[in-house]
Amino acid sequence: MSSRQVPRHTRAGIFIHWFNAACWFFLLVTGVALISNPELNPLGAWYPKAVRAIFFGGENLLVAHWLVAFIWLAVWLVYLFWGMNRLVAPFINSIFTIEPNRDIQWMIKKNLQMTVGYKMMARLVKPLGYDGTMPDQGYYNVGQKLAAQGLIIGGLALVGTGFIMFTSKYFLTAADVWLVQWSITVHFIAAGVTTALLILHIYMAAISSEERPAFISMFTGTVPAEYAKHHHRLWYDELEDSKPSEVG
Amino acid sequence: MAKQLGMVIDANACIDCKGCMVACKVANQVPGDNWRNWIKDGAMDRSAKSKKRMVFQPGNCMQCDKPTCVTACPTGATYKSKADGVVMINRDLCIGCGQCIKACPYGARYRNEKLKVADKCDFCSNRREVGLEPACVSTCPTKARAFGDLNDPSSPAGKLYAAQKEEAVQVVNAQSDTDPNIYYLGAPGDKHWPVKAQMPSAFTFWKNVADPGVKVLMGLMGVGVLAMLGKQLVMKNDAPEEHHGEDGHE
Repeated sequence: MSSRQVPRHTRAGIFIHWFNAACWFFLLVTGVALISNPELNPLGAWYPKAVRAIFFGGENLLVAHWLVAFIWLAVWLVYLFWGMNRLVAPFINSIFTIEPNRDIQWMIKKNLQMTVGYKMMARLVKPLGYDGTMPDQGYYNVGQKLAAQGLIIGGLALVGTGFIMFTSKYFLTAADVWLVQWSITVHFIAAGVTTALLILHIYMAAISSEERPAFISMFTGTVPAEYAKHHHRLWYDELEDSKPSEVG
Repeated sequence: MAKQLGMVIDANACIDCKGCMVACKVANQVPGDNWRNWIKDGAMDRSAKSKKRMVFQPGNCMQCDKPTCVTACPTGATYKSKADGVVMINRDLCIGCGQCIKACPYGARYRNEKLKVADKCDFCSNRREVGLEPACVSTCPTKARAFGDLNDPSSPAGKLYAAQKEEAVQVVNAQSDTDPNIYYLGAPGDKHWPVKAQMPSAFTFWKNVADPGVKVLMGLMGVGVLAMLGKQLVMKNDAPEEHHGEDGHE
């Protein structure tokens, strides 16, 4: 029974995840290349030069960035309306629900465990009055929740400031441009923060061996029951409790 | 020496007729309240005791050697042309943030009311393409403005510049010398430009706070991920302390 699988992601969820990933990657690559200023270049002058050459000019790069941003936004809006009750609201509810006692303990322990191992972690948390066991977590652990919160807030900031920048050339007047100037700066910060979170997310999912089943579930939609029980005990228990009514 | 288009303006010849301003507006279809050039309000010249008279200081984008507008542009849409030293604007790459407008001490830039992008004097690039001088130069009835490559003594501006290097002055703010390429002869009035070049606060915040902040964040994240990767490689079998032991298997 050890290979029994439990459903974790819907097809729609898997689609929006990979669609999102592709768009964010494209928008990051093109967005960084839209900065071309010796005092601000995040990666040096060669980067905007190279990417702009691929797009046959910075002006095409700008249009490509806008185009993909609007496609991304449009698909998201459809997803939000279509899946609001079934997918979006439960997700938002889940990631913004935090139980401080349990979750702070989990954060401390997980960070230590991921860097120094279980044994050392158990020793280090003793002075705090904790034992070496990880507190149970729900569908998402608190690390995932905090990252998701950061990504949602950062994503909203990117959409808002991006839209203001886009409108500048079409609607705004000279008196409004301070808004555009600060939008650029906030857009940069939001992109930086979300990219940092995505580095962590990609490491956890694709490189860390512990979370390998979660990575695979982003293709198949299911995780092994053993994995669910070990990593997301509260969710697993819920699943088990609701089992009888699962039929039909 | 590299080509550097510029102007040598004889302030004594200027009669404040504003012909240059009108010609520019027509030649470049400058909309509404936007202007690419100006004649600074006249001041009384009291240097010659016997003869007091008004002095005028015509101006436009100075195509500076150290352009603060270029420094303030995040996308590289505004740049100093390597071919002729004119500061140009790529309107398609400009996102209309207006930071260059704020950064120019001379107020030479404006937000084009129609196009909603930054705009300014480019020494009439459209007219130069067909071999004409800038409109303000052609139209000036007293020939106060001389235009051309400052480094070429055979051009009208270069000739004046070479001959009167000692007398020719730049009008700059001492605290932010952008090294402009418009030189004045005669009595242009105040040689001190009252406005200091200033970077917009959003730009300064980006450069001094946001940029290093994001770099530190990336660095910390990188160190954290490397630490986890290192641990993963060193401790291949990192099993949790037994605690669900009594649960056994399902």
